[in-house]
Amino acid sequence: MTMPSVPMGEGFTLDDILRDTLTSTYVDDAFYAKLRNDLSEWQGRGAVLTEQDRERYESLILHENWLLDRRAFEKWYQLYSRQCVYWVPAINDMPDPVRGDPQRQITIAFDDRRRMGDRIVWLRTGVAYSQLPPSYTAHTSSGFVKVPTGNAGEVKIRSQFIVHETRAGHAVQTLTGWMGHVFVMEDGELRIDRKLVCLLNADVNQHNLTFLI
Amino acid sequence: MVALTNMPSAMDALVQDDRVHRTLYTDAAIFSAEMNKVFGGTWTFLAHESEIPKPNDFIRKKLGLRPIIVTRDRNGAFHGLLNRCTHRGATVCRQSAGSARRFTCPYHNWSFDNTGALAGVPMEDAYGPNFDKSSLGLGRLRVEAYRGFIFGTLNQQLTDLQSHLGQAARRIDEWLDRWPGAKLVVRNGAHRLICNGNWKLVFDNSADGYHPGFSHASLLRMRKDRYGAGVDMQWVIGNVDDGLQTVADIGNGNTFLDQRQEIKRYWDQAAPMPGEESYAATMRARLGEKAEAALDVVVGSGMNLNIFPNLLIIGNQIQVIEPRSFDSTYLNWYGTTLEADDMPPEVNSLRMRLQEDFPSFGEPDDLANFEECQAGLGIAEMEWVLTSRHLHSGKEYRDANGYLTGPVSDELPLRAFWREWKRLMTSTVPQVAL
Repeated sequence: MTMPSVPMGEGFTLDDILRDTLTSTYVDDAFYAKLRNDLSEWQGRGAVLTEQDRERYESLILHENWLLDRRAFEKWYQLYSRQCVYWVPAINDMPDPVRGDPQRQITIAFDDRRRMGDRIVWLRTGVAYSQLPPSYTAHTSSGFVKVPTGNAGEVKIRSQFIVHETRAGHAVQTLTGWMGHVFVMEDGELRIDRKLVCLLNADVNQHNLTFLI
Repeated sequence: MVALTNMPSAMDALVQDDRVHRTLYTDAAIFSAEMNKVFGGTWTFLAHESEIPKPNDFIRKKLGLRPIIVTRDRNGAFHGLLNRCTHRGATVCRQSAGSARRFTCPYHNWSFDNTGALAGVPMEDAYGPNFDKSSLGLGRLRVEAYRGFIFGTLNQQLTDLQSHLGQAARRIDEWLDRWPGAKLVVRNGAHRLICNGNWKLVFDNSADGYHPGFSHASLLRMRKDRYGAGVDMQWVIGNVDDGLQTVADIGNGNTFLDQRQEIKRYWDQAAPMPGEESYAATMRARLGEKAEAALDVVVGSGMNLNIFPNLLIIGNQIQVIEPRSFDSTYLNWYGTTLEADDMPPEVNSLRMRLQEDFPSFGEPDDLANFEECQAGLGIAEMEWVLTSRHLHSGKEYRDANGYLTGPVSDELPLRAFWREWKRLMTSTVPQVAL
């Protein structure tokens, strides 16, 4: 297959992703229950981050943005835990554990670790015509707050975002809304376990969202 | 713009047996005419009954560009109402869906019941003694439903819906009856996509068995590189006309692409989906052998059933085409679940995730190609779009029911579409709201 050189230097490569996580074993009723509980917790009152939390969590979100904007998808994939999800609901006015329940609603994106890998391999085939020419993004995040959670060993960070996206020959698209990141420690590293992207206009027709938000 | 003063001869020049003119995709006057004459001139899909499950439920839709409301009255009967106040023309319903016994126009508070009848006019006396409220109800479509699919028309002379659907009704039966007794539910959200191309580019594609090996190269290559042979859609690679898929013209512009002979076991040939191994294990542990039949109805039907002009039943989803302008279209992929007492709930959890697969990794590449078609079709000096594949190859035949059938790359479905389109565009049957 075509494998354009991976930006951002050494590390995880497309070949590693090709062989990584080829089954989907952790998305089950308990997993969906956890996501519904997340939606309730995201409604909590957030507190601005301490200097220490900024260094740990805000830095990682900003690093994630940077990797996505550089199209360094293989490195982006490494930021995530083994039982992760990247989730973009298709309803407005989130969070709502009933209307937004992914077990009962299709979404704009609901990628477990395997589908995240599929998406990256797909983006890298070079024959995804919706990504020829490819999208380039500029992520801007602000308003980071820590939201209380009852889950042991997890930290929830909510933030506001604006993403501008351009593909040659197309108008710049602007996406905005809020994100929720759930962080866990895994193998001694801080990882993103769940990322929720709530678009302001998630319920209306969208033009070519084949890039990563 | 194309002069449409003499519609029949203009249409004969533009729609030929083996090619059609580019302006059918690029001309604003043609678009405006087809929004009235095609959408509403025949039975046109409006909504699924499960979108308005209870008495007094309603949902806003479009019939071509006309804003409409599809309602159930208090007795549960369906109505298709033109969303236009009979007073000054404002839409009377501004909510996308809900429950209401009456629609009250926000402008002067004229109110209509959910069958369309005018129920109240503020300070009515000023219209004089001859004011006839019974003649001022909302415009009403002729509405009929077939197995939950609600259609409407403004053509009062058209045959009944089931006769009109004909063979397409049998295919709907086959699509619905994969799990006997199951009810289809269309209340699980939708992938709502925008294509900056003409709506007919979408319909053209839905029975196009020629394109998948090429337009979907990214999906096929990703699958093969990660999972090897045998998974979803690998039958579209190579010379598909040597394979077992077929396309057929099943009447009135409806077409059918049948992949079923290529599918040995639905579950084994499914696209990957989140929860695949976890839920399959749960179901097999609880249900034993019975799990296998349930896993099969997670997966698409192997059928592309295209109901002219706007309903595409593909896999286990329904797609509805909503034209916006000659070069912009909304394409809504509605998620579906199955309800039955004996349906394991895991089936629907899996269906949610499977139904995200093609809109993520397949459809966007098609939409990109349709947009590039629209760009190319803007070139005035290059006039024609070919529809001739297999027209003279001798490979077409009549199936057991007499329907013209061909190898899967046959452009027979395009020719069937354009014949029906031209018939409606040149029809002199009046269209009237009830």
